[in-house]
Amino acid sequence: MLEIKELITKVNEKSILNGVNLNIKAGEVHAIMGPNGSGKSTLANVLSGKNGYQISGSIKFNGEDLTEVSIEERAQKGIFLAFQYPLEIPGVNTNNFLKTSLNTVRKARGEKELDTLTFLKLVKEKSSELGIDEKFLSRQLNVGFSGGEKKKNEILQMKLLEPKLSVLDETDSGLDIDALRIVADGVNSSKTKNNAFLIITHYQRLLDYIKPDFVHVLSKGRIVKTGNSELGEELEKSGYANLQ
Amino acid sequence: MNLNSEFNIENIKNISVEEKKFRQNSLSLFKEKGFPNKRLEEWKFTDLGKIINENFKELNFNNVEKNNENIELIKDFEHNSIVLINGFLKSKNFKYENKENIKISEYKNSKKNNKDESINSLIDLNNAFFGGGYFLEISRDYKFCKPLVVYNYFSNNLKNTIINNKNSIVLNENSNLDLIEFNLDISSSNFIHNNHTNIIISKNASLKNYTIQGCKSNCFYYKFVKSKLDKKSNYEDYIFLSGLKFSRTEEDIDIDGENANCIVQSALYLDLENHQEVKTKLNHLKPNCKSYQKIKNVLNKKSKSAYQGKIFVKDIAQKTDAYQLSRALLLDDSSEFNAKPELEIYADDVKCSHGSTSGSINEDSIYYMMTRGISKKKAIELLTKAFLFEIADSISNVEIKNFVEKNIDRQIYGY
Repeated sequence: MLEIKELITKVNEKSILNGVNLNIKAGEVHAIMGPNGSGKSTLANVLSGKNGYQISGSIKFNGEDLTEVSIEERAQKGIFLAFQYPLEIPGVNTNNFLKTSLNTVRKARGEKELDTLTFLKLVKEKSSELGIDEKFLSRQLNVGFSGGEKKKNEILQMKLLEPKLSVLDETDSGLDIDALRIVADGVNSSKTKNNAFLIITHYQRLLDYIKPDFVHVLSKGRIVKTGNSELGEELEKSGYANLQ
Repeated sequence: MNLNSEFNIENIKNISVEEKKFRQNSLSLFKEKGFPNKRLEEWKFTDLGKIINENFKELNFNNVEKNNENIELIKDFEHNSIVLINGFLKSKNFKYENKENIKISEYKNSKKNNKDESINSLIDLNNAFFGGGYFLEISRDYKFCKPLVVYNYFSNNLKNTIINNKNSIVLNENSNLDLIEFNLDISSSNFIHNNHTNIIISKNASLKNYTIQGCKSNCFYYKFVKSKLDKKSNYEDYIFLSGLKFSRTEEDIDIDGENANCIVQSALYLDLENHQEVKTKLNHLKPNCKSYQKIKNVLNKKSKSAYQGKIFVKDIAQKTDAYQLSRALLLDDSSEFNAKPELEIYADDVKCSHGSTSGSINEDSIYYMMTRGISKKKAIELLTKAFLFEIADSISNVEIKNFVEKNIDRQIYGY
């Protein structure tokens, strides 16, 4: 599904990713761990298409080169990024935003757009699974939401959009144990043999709930080690320092 | 720009000697001053003389009366209506009201107006040539059941014409009215609408005044409103004039009774070299009054906007609570927003605040929305709408609020 080859990324001539290689197949869950500043969030941003990076190497999604594909098209093609710090957007109603987003993506997939009633029914169902109070959905997007509520809202969007590849950028940070479990359940229940997940995290904690097929360690802009879920547990004990 | 030969008081029929004198005097005042320019402090951001010269080869002052225009009425909510065509009162319909309590007629000059001081040269010009407009008076204790829509309709034969008219609105004690001025026109050429409105809101009365531009227009719109608020009265003024090529709304409000409340709010979307401004002067003359002003503008494509807001607090007007904020969202580098807040305070126990911000749209917000499949254009539209809807959201009448939002929507997404 996702093929990254020799990905080099710079911001203002400062190099951040120094040749990342990564293959993700449908049905797989990959985790990327690594110390602060290793380039984890940059990798997530680059996958989403964020501007401001000088990029070389190749990123292919389902065989298609992503280099020239815009941010919104990537989303329409099925790449989803759950933000580490979801934006607060005053004045924009959450439901209205979710509906606009879902219908744009549905349209791009050649599916019928949902009318308001069907949409509301769907969003109600998905949000109750995540324990999101319906009242939040009529509020302004993420404005005044707690950290946990913002993260749950990201997972809600993921569940609505049903992306092929979900990139979760430190979704576990700022979550209490109950919220962590809810978020993890949200991911686990979305797993199918046709989609894939890339989970970026500092800690093993989240991986206790979402069992990855592969764990990669990113350090200084490179994947320095790849293993199975036991690698995460190992790192939790020994720390990143030993790897460097 | 030449003034047409019909630009002559002699051509105005049926006026008293006294009125003729007043008009002649006003005309000489106008001729002396000409159209306002940047040398005047109140016009420091706008050279109207230059704008008029660039857009009009000549100006005709004959008042174009016209009947029988087919006007599409608002279907969104039940309302009473009066229709003005090219500034003249043509019809009225108060089917939802007890008509005994409403006086409505064509505006007539009264002696009192002859003593109007010279406020500015546009008012002088209005004083010299005004015709048409309406006079509306609501009886004591009468509360309107439905809003009143004033259709300000302009026909298509107004090339190089200036329409000067006056309105007068009187709300007697404890009365209540929601008034919507809805501007519509089918003129493909430039014309000027120069309006002077007087409003009196008596004790305990409440007027909510919404001015809404209903279509894209080549009208150069100037409106000067003088209002007087008595004890415990309430005046709310909402300005939604997007679509006009040029507009300037001036509000001069005397808050002249204790515990009166005054709100001025505006949401404007300016596109394609539009020029729109709001100027307010809120005079706190009695103690314990509140005023609130919020002006929000979105500017795009070489458009230009200004807000000049003055709060005056007289020495006896203790416990005044006055708030003023203007915010501009600039969608590109070619647009310009100017703000000039002024506070003139002679009382020592007051709460007055003012603020002004202008900036571009938040790139991170756009990025966030784009990662959800939404195009950049759509994201900007959503953010722009969110910015302006804040004003509409403060309208308590849901039907009017929805109508205003629909109108803003149309302005952003194109007519």
